[in-house]
Amino acid sequence: MPLSDLRTVPEPVTHAATVLAGLDEAFVSGFGRLASAHLETLAALQRSFHGTPIGEALTGAVAGIGRSEFIDRHFAVLAVARSAVLGAMHDALQAQACAALGRPRPVLEDIPASPAQAAPPSAAVLLDSTRQWLMELAIAGFANLEVGSLLPFQATLDAILDQPALVRIAALLTGFLGELLAVFPAHGTPEIPQQRWADLWSRAMVLAIAPVPAPATRPASGLLAILATDLREHSNVVNLIAHGVLREASGPRLVRTSIAAFKVDVLESEDVASRLATLGETLLAAIASGQALKIQGMPLTAAGDLVWQDKRAELDAKTKPIEVAAATLAQPPAQRPGFDPDARHPALLEELVYFAGSDSAVTKGADGKPTISGLPVDLQRWPTSDDLLPDDLAGNKAVVALLRFDAGRWSLQPVAIDKGKPTPRMVGTGLHEARKKAKAGNLSILQERASKLLRQKS
Amino acid sequence: MSGDPLRSVIKPRSLARPRKVKDVPFVELHAGRLQGVVSSGSDAERVYVSYFEAGSGNFYCSTNNNRPCGGLRGSPCKHLTQLLDEAVLEFGAPRVIAYLGLTADPATIKRGSQLVGLIKGGLHKVDAGMVFSRFLTYLQYIHLSPVAAPLPEMAWFVR
Repeated sequence: MPLSDLRTVPEPVTHAATVLAGLDEAFVSGFGRLASAHLETLAALQRSFHGTPIGEALTGAVAGIGRSEFIDRHFAVLAVARSAVLGAMHDALQAQACAALGRPRPVLEDIPASPAQAAPPSAAVLLDSTRQWLMELAIAGFANLEVGSLLPFQATLDAILDQPALVRIAALLTGFLGELLAVFPAHGTPEIPQQRWADLWSRAMVLAIAPVPAPATRPASGLLAILATDLREHSNVVNLIAHGVLREASGPRLVRTSIAAFKVDVLESEDVASRLATLGETLLAAIASGQALKIQGMPLTAAGDLVWQDKRAELDAKTKPIEVAAATLAQPPAQRPGFDPDARHPALLEELVYFAGSDSAVTKGADGKPTISGLPVDLQRWPTSDDLLPDDLAGNKAVVALLRFDAGRWSLQPVAIDKGKPTPRMVGTGLHEARKKAKAGNLSILQERASKLLRQKS
Repeated sequence: MSGDPLRSVIKPRSLARPRKVKDVPFVELHAGRLQGVVSSGSDAERVYVSYFEAGSGNFYCSTNNNRPCGGLRGSPCKHLTQLLDEAVLEFGAPRVIAYLGLTADPATIKRGSQLVGLIKGGLHKVDAGMVFSRFLTYLQYIHLSPVAAPLPEMAWFVR
């Protein structure tokens, strides 16, 4: 496993990143005041799409923006082009990673689309408003935003939150708007996370083009063993991800599953464990105990996501997650999670890797930061949780990590650490126990305090 | 938020200690005010609505039916002090100082209570119902249904 190959990045990826960095500078200063360097970058981007399906649309969009024609269609095309470049970078990086790891690239299943329920017309109107707002951000530029252009969108977002068909963009927009409002009103020159906000802006714009239908699924059955977990969170959403191996009649495959709950900033993942449990109590129990799960007819998407339905899962015998990980990740099947083409982005890449013995030992890199097998440990990706602490790496017996790509380099996000106990250290192992504390917890305190105010008023 | 401008996933700074949800259930910087909801220290049934206005430094603290807090004697009461403490914890001293327009070196401010002496304004009553309705709007999120659908965009968010 020549992981050392991952200390460099393919030249086309570096080149594409340079072009995008130039484009993202235009997002920071604003499309309302493009400098000649920005116009040159837009022209270069346009040339690179010549002859592709969006080539003509991009030529029109770049020409229009150059003439200060501010219509949302131009910006939507620009977002699609930026996302397409990142999708191509994702594919090149995935090929590099899989070659270095000596494993096949993940293969998406071919699942016929089922007649999807169309989103209500009100959803389309809300997305029109969203594109309009996003365009205004791009015209003003991320460095020049004002609270007056941010707060009014909250009302649109509240309406989006009421539409189940728009939950994906709702989760993204609440995080993005919250972040913008944490910086503005800015005093002095704010530090702008240029690439990050350009990413969030583009993804929101692409998701706002039309309601995204629920992914097609097929029923999956078999014994599921959880190998690793991950926790994503912003002020208004907690999202627990579990990675596992599902033994179907046709053979084993890796799957991913996700449960999420909305929240407010003062609440942490433990505080909303009871909300997560209403959806996935059995999943939380399996993560806590290391038990396998018998899955019966649960929907599985082409990208390898099990759409969790607790009634279709039943706790089974105890497993040894680290041993299962060691056995599965030595030669993982091509049937494992990936992303639909329109969701691909280098920052979403995640390949499960198992390290043991001297390979999993933590050493200090040239910059004094921790490394495993020569790859840096990405602490920016490490969720804050008592269940899995950076200190757990010291003296480990084995580590399961997600291979990640960000800031132009490969890194590792440890997700399960073997400390010689039956269950590894893993994010989310405490959630099953925490769900019971709901009565005395912060969630019920908030509701109780609000009820006191209501009563006082009457 | 700060960090490498060429990074996609950036973890925000973590809080120095957990929020005291029971004492200060709600705090926000909104519409030119630092405002929130503070629990009474003596009466479990009572809740106060408190605010500081940016710029003028005016402040007020009252029960939701607009009865003034007994601790207000020309200077901020302990509820307002608690509100400042939680605000500095949640938003960081630099942002609170800048938002309120105070003159202080953020590096020397560890607790919000250190800012009380810098508040130059006086008592100025506003309708407590406004802050209260903000609190209710804020709580809307906890009534939304949990989600089983894949949310790939959440990969950008780590706490």
